Amino acid sequence: MSSTIALGMRSLREMVRQPDALLMTMFIPIFFLVVNTGQAAEIFPSDSTEFLQGQGYGAFQLPITLLLAASFGMAALFLVEEIEGGYFDKLRAMPIPRSSMVLGRLVAEAAKGTVLSSVIVLIALPFGITIASGVPGFFLIVALSALWGVVYAGFMQLIALKTRSAAATNSGGLIFFPLLFLTPNFVPREMLTKPMEIAATLNPVTYLMEALRSLILTDLDWGAILPGFAVVAGLGVVMLLLNIRMIQTYD
Amino acid sequence: MTDHRDPAVRAEGLVKHFDGGEETVEAVRGVDLEIQPGEVFGFLGPNGAGKSTTVRMLTTLLSITGGRAEVAGIDVSGDPDAVRHRIGVALQEAGLDPRQTGRELLTLHGRLFGLDQDKAAARAQELLELVELEGAADRVTKSYSGGMQRRLDLAAALVHEPEVLFLDEPTTGLDPASRLTVWEEVRRINAHGTTVFLTTQYLEEADQLCDRLAIIDDGVIVREGTPADLKAELSERRDGAEITLDDVFLDATGRSRDRAAGEVQEVGA
Repeated sequence: MSSTIALGMRSLREMVRQPDALLMTMFIPIFFLVVNTGQAAEIFPSDSTEFLQGQGYGAFQLPITLLLAASFGMAALFLVEEIEGGYFDKLRAMPIPRSSMVLGRLVAEAAKGTVLSSVIVLIALPFGITIASGVPGFFLIVALSALWGVVYAGFMQLIALKTRSAAATNSGGLIFFPLLFLTPNFVPREMLTKPMEIAATLNPVTYLMEALRSLILTDLDWGAILPGFAVVAGLGVVMLLLNIRMIQTYD
Repeated sequence: MTDHRDPAVRAEGLVKHFDGGEETVEAVRGVDLEIQPGEVFGFLGPNGAGKSTTVRMLTTLLSITGGRAEVAGIDVSGDPDAVRHRIGVALQEAGLDPRQTGRELLTLHGRLFGLDQDKAAARAQELLELVELEGAADRVTKSYSGGMQRRLDLAAALVHEPEVLFLDEPTTGLDPASRLTVWEEVRRINAHGTTVFLTTQYLEEADQLCDRLAIIDDGVIVREGTPADLKAELSERRDGAEITLDDVFLDATGRSRDRAAGEVQEVGA
């Protein structure tokens, strides 16, 4: 555990010392929030659009912004850089649990996700977006976004460990990207075309988005919130098991 | 518990195969080694001969396909974690975290070897002084020159005062002055009783530093002994001709001088 924390602290320093990467992680999702809201807010006026629950369209778009910000997988990019640079082998030659080498990075990813999602929500508040579920809802939004960031980074770490190539890890991240868009990101699921509705229903990210959206637009609705956390928990267990297996058999 | 009479490194019939798609690559094909505690042992060979693969097996970084190896009296495959407690490793590329300072990196290594924060910080300071990097201690390592990175890498391998230090081509790419500094460090470390296993492409380096050496070619050891004995043996076969380690290397690997150019270098510091 102590080596996981020590390596997690190192990863946090690493992120802080690469501020340009952090800024891009903030800028692109906020750019999408502004553009998407600007394009569709007229189509969905708040006073006549039932699914907005009285809020503006920006509130409906905020979940995709949070999920996008959490889906950059910085931990995996730093990991593959370390593999290519040789420091990874230096750590492998030390008497520490191998699992701490991947878990340390995920701990740092959780801390980064917590800060990032808090900042994004706080930026959104002055623009008329309110968190209908109140302070508990705010913490649940931040927790769910940060946990998704950990799961996403963990799957990208698998690509990094398997391919040991920065180019392949970058490209591999794009495989997951469509999952963020095969979701009810512009309108609720029941308003999608049938094929899209089926795709969205099968896509686990949909349940994260609906959980976040519910926390923003309505009071605590556990029927919508719990499936989101269940998805993160389920994928998180699979991701952790695969990461530990891969690092322990890394040759 | 390590028996102090145990060799520092022992390998018996060490084999490594890599799956190369349609054919298996036999990188190491039955290496036998025995290195006594306190020795500086040189491991020479042309590019692709199996030097780094052997080092990576002995340092637990690669699984062993066949044979067995012990480091500090401990079976490498059976208890790799115990081996990692007793070895220091500086690999071919000075693998450093580019966004940490020298001090942070050494302190982290101390923490990972179980020292508390104060002891880890004190050990980091001691090592920074040893490798003469106090002035650059609080700069991130990506701003270091090649020689400084090598020295920090060496210091990182010494954090826990290892019994056996593996140095894989520690001076490759360094200018002569930096190379001399690394040689001095190796001698100083060895003088404290640490066994040093050194791979190198520089024959003069092996001649200067090593008590004994082995030459590996195509995955098998083709010559082993002290530099003086190896030269004397070849001199005898050549009717008393003056022999250098270059000649021994070429004779052992069956290479001509032209072919050896660029594979193993005779570079003076």
